[in-house]
Amino acid sequence: MFLLYDYDIFWAFLIISSLIPILAFIISGILAPISKGPEKLSSYESGIEPMGDAWLQFRIRYYMFALVFVVFDVETVFLYPWAIGFDILGISVFIEALIFVLILIIGSVYAWRKGALEWS
Amino acid sequence: MDLPEPLHDFLLVFLGSCLVLGSLGVVFFTNTILSAFSLGLVLVCISLFYILSNSHFVAAAQLLIYVGAINVLILFAVMFMNGSEYHQDFHLFTVGGGITLMVCTSIFVSLITTIPDTSWYGLIWTTRPNQIIEQDLISTSQQIGVHLSTDFFLPFELISIILLAALIGAIVVARQ
Repeated sequence: MFLLYDYDIFWAFLIISSLIPILAFIISGILAPISKGPEKLSSYESGIEPMGDAWLQFRIRYYMFALVFVVFDVETVFLYPWAIGFDILGISVFIEALIFVLILIIGSVYAWRKGALEWS
Repeated sequence: MDLPEPLHDFLLVFLGSCLVLGSLGVVFFTNTILSAFSLGLVLVCISLFYILSNSHFVAAAQLLIYVGAINVLILFAVMFMNGSEYHQDFHLFTVGGGITLMVCTSIFVSLITTIPDTSWYGLIWTTRPNQIIEQDLISTSQQIGVHLSTDFFLPFELISIILLAALIGAIVVARQ
């Protein structure tokens, strides 16, 4: 239906998922009452007066999580072609992919024991 | 990609100019977060180039890994920096900049002279006769999976060991 017909479903998904937020903003812009005041422009802190600065310090554990994510994302990309051809490939290829995942599970246990996955 | 020819050329030129503008933005923005976002734009444009060249799996892998993981990592690293103290001593033309300019210009000229002269269609046609029989039965991603698990089985397992080494190395370095 569209120009790149292999991507039909993708274009439909893209159009619908762009239309929904635009419609939401337009409808709420039309229906909502507008009233200005000095209290509406201050930041929200659960009903009390806001105290302190809004800027937080960036902590190192965000970076540790992103780092572990990169390695496991690359592993996932290598598992995608195996998963797509799963019904063609036999049980021996299943064993090979299992070895692949097991070696990376060893890596994830190492990351867990070394405290790279601590959140607090 | 089976697009009509002028549309294909227009998309190529548009993506190429987007890529060049994005890379200029990476280098020239003084705000480091804008520079990191321009890098994201460059990687998305490269992914769209792969779609135009009919390699859909590589395009998706590029989006997942480069934009989704590596660019996010660069953004997190940029957020540690206070950007205001890096732009005070900015010289416009240094010696190192001049040498880099000559090297990059020579690489650019050599690429421009060699790329139109190689016969790319000779390279593509050598890979085509292997896949004509199975062309309609198996999709390209499944072919990648088949080759990865039969012909390239040993590199597939070695990749897992390389990833393990990278993970351990990164955790050791980042914990200090």
